[in-house]
Amino acid sequence: MSKKIFIDFKRCIACKACEVACEMEHGEARIRVFEFPDLTSVAFNCRHCEKAPCMEACPVNALSKDEDGAVVLDPLKCIGCLMCGLACPFGIPKIDEYNKIMDKCDLCAHRRADGRMPACVSACPTEALKYGDINDVLWAREGKIVAELKDIGDRTNVLEAYIIR
Amino acid sequence: MAEKLVPVVCPWCSVGCRFYIVNVNGYPKKIEFDYDHETRNHGKLCPKGVAAFQYLRHPDRLKRPLKRVGERGEGKFVEISWEEAIKEIAGKLRELKEKYGPEALAFLGSERCSIEENYVLQKLARALGTNNVEYVCRMCQSTSVAGKGMVLGHPGLTNPFEDILKAKVIVLWGYNPAATNPVFFGQYIEKAILDNGAKLIVVDPRKTKTAKYADIHIQPYPGTDLAVALAMLNVIITEELYDKDFVAERTEGFEELAKTIKKYTPEWAEKVSGVPAELIRKAAITFATAGTAALLTNEGVNQHANGTRTVMAITEMMVLCGYFGKEGVMSGAIPGAHNGMGAGLMGVGPHELPGRFPLHAEEHKRRIEEAWGFKIPEKPGITYVEMIDAILEGKLKALYVMGTNPARALPNLKKAEEAFKNIEFLVVQDIFLTETAKYADIVLPAAAWFEKDGTAISFERRVQRSFKAADAPGEAKPDWEILVMLARELGLGEYFNYSDVDDVLREINRTIPFLTGATPERLKNKLSGCMIPCPDEETETPRLFVDGFLTPSGKAQLIPVEYKEPGEVPDEEYPFWLTNYRLVGHFHTGTMSHRSKSLSKRWPEEYIEINENDAKRLGIKDGDLVRVETRRGALVFKARVTPHIREGVVAAPWHWDFNYLTKDALDEYAKMPELKAAACRISKVEG
Repeated sequence: MSKKIFIDFKRCIACKACEVACEMEHGEARIRVFEFPDLTSVAFNCRHCEKAPCMEACPVNALSKDEDGAVVLDPLKCIGCLMCGLACPFGIPKIDEYNKIMDKCDLCAHRRADGRMPACVSACPTEALKYGDINDVLWAREGKIVAELKDIGDRTNVLEAYIIR
Repeated sequence: MAEKLVPVVCPWCSVGCRFYIVNVNGYPKKIEFDYDHETRNHGKLCPKGVAAFQYLRHPDRLKRPLKRVGERGEGKFVEISWEEAIKEIAGKLRELKEKYGPEALAFLGSERCSIEENYVLQKLARALGTNNVEYVCRMCQSTSVAGKGMVLGHPGLTNPFEDILKAKVIVLWGYNPAATNPVFFGQYIEKAILDNGAKLIVVDPRKTKTAKYADIHIQPYPGTDLAVALAMLNVIITEELYDKDFVAERTEGFEELAKTIKKYTPEWAEKVSGVPAELIRKAAITFATAGTAALLTNEGVNQHANGTRTVMAITEMMVLCGYFGKEGVMSGAIPGAHNGMGAGLMGVGPHELPGRFPLHAEEHKRRIEEAWGFKIPEKPGITYVEMIDAILEGKLKALYVMGTNPARALPNLKKAEEAFKNIEFLVVQDIFLTETAKYADIVLPAAAWFEKDGTAISFERRVQRSFKAADAPGEAKPDWEILVMLARELGLGEYFNYSDVDDVLREINRTIPFLTGATPERLKNKLSGCMIPCPDEETETPRLFVDGFLTPSGKAQLIPVEYKEPGEVPDEEYPFWLTNYRLVGHFHTGTMSHRSKSLSKRWPEEYIEINENDAKRLGIKDGDLVRVETRRGALVFKARVTPHIREGVVAAPWHWDFNYLTKDALDEYAKMPELKAAACRISKVEG
């Protein structure tokens, strides 16, 4: 399973450390924090889809998946046609107005090459951003509940225990 | 390309985050996260931390000493040499001292400079014969220092950060850590709430990102927190929720407090603060019956003319419930800047000796005089805000400002500007031409935090070393070096015989008993530093008040507190309460953050929050321009209409010009000005 950045909405405080950290690495922030009137906030970046519409739409094969499953852009192949931006259901790839080619999150390929985490995840002070395999991330989040249920389940019937709770 | 990683302490807030500056041939390239060491931030950083190197090479950086050629405040200067600048300053200080006496001179230290630099500054002031030495703590923490000092004998954060993870209830009073200390919030408070099930009580007129997590949110009118605190004390005492054994063994004055507090019922507090009595009762019961509690305060409590009283009442709540000296509790106020605590401990105060001993503590005074080789002046100095009056009255002739920006930080700015226009001699030593520096006769270029070695003390009482990670631009020099140059020119060289910062720190180790163990060697070998008091190189003190309080009797003093209004309350003419707050992306008066591209892009301008019902009544829509007027002045803000602020209150971030609106009423104990409450009227700007 490939690794991705997961977002825990509950923990985000809209401090935008992720945006600034990304900007420091890439010149422009490729992750954005959206704030809503009810004080919830969501940091949002490329989902690196398993079946990525941007890759399928690219006429010059400038987009490909690397060994960690990140959808990365080859700037030498990109012609700035904006097809990937149109195809992306999240509107992630953006045109780099200066170079006239597309720009998108590559999960900090240069940092991963050194064994480091993407910059936004490294910075996030509340750990609302997590980098990893979805099973690991889910297990870390829900593991306590599952372990508790399992513990009860060992003694009684799991379903019964769940209903009682 | 020689790239190296230099470990530094973050230069913004006081959590004490560590990271690296990536240095390429003396040039700061970027930051890198420090996950390898035992850092308090676990490698994490907030947006200010990540952008921390941006202001270093801003084109506005001061590179050479400047001499004013235009009018004061105009900002017209010519470059001069270091030799000329130091000679001129020394000559003028000597002349004014001879003509008017040493009390005509005053010095301002800085929470943004190292402990070594603040130590040298106050020593220089005292060598010149004056105790007129201050720093901005007067306008941040002084009420907390005074209030907690009276009740507990020490104002510091009581426990290490980890203890908050074990707290059953967390009270954040006048404190929005999600914006002011995101790393502390994310790594400790949020984990305690979301992972460990701690209950959260927030006291704040605004519904902040912190209050989003609150089980109980109390929204008093600005500056009426004292009424809420007194009512909570009332509930704790009348409903006998306090820890009787603890009160009997470790406190003094309970009977008197219980008698005084009787009249301050939640119903009375409801009338004063606008908070429903039942909510206050619920909060008091939740707090007192939790078992372990963390109670953290900040400027929302501190920056009021009744601040000391509020701090005393809040601290007494912690005492009554017997929460001190245990694991899983925490009590403290959070200084704004990375060395807010350290500067104070160095004796940068008009009534204080290094080590925060009172000026009249004879034994300590003698000891320090022996170490220094000269007499400390007898007469106590004047406090920060009082300096402005002293200048206008013609008593204060010269002001030496190191790394701070009073022309934006002081209340009632118009009056402060008048003072800066009229002072006889003003020197400003900083990294940028601040609003204050524009009034200066001589401006000296200082090295920024990453451009020098230095020690800082975080709000956890942790002493940490930061290392030189970049070369200073032009001829800029570390603050301590500039002060030593000046001392030598003034003929005081024999008392300032330092060749590097380690020499200064060693003198601090000798002079301040609880810092004896924080030696340069220890701090260089152990990046996580040590928690003061550290009387020798082996020990440190993670928890305070385990065996006793630091009052003379060792018992907490339950001093009765009476209600007092904030410095200004609304009336018919000025019907709204006005208060201020901080933004996560800006810092203090913006000297550094307004010059950080990534920060100013995201938090570009000020705005004012108005409750949606108030806005409707006044015909104000979101984004409209609004004129906010107090008795001191008027400013125009963009309106942000929101349900997240209570009716009758408006609030704006303070990092820009907010202090043109505030009043300089002072707290009677700490001389803290009324920075967070004012009466105002608002009107839509037509056209």
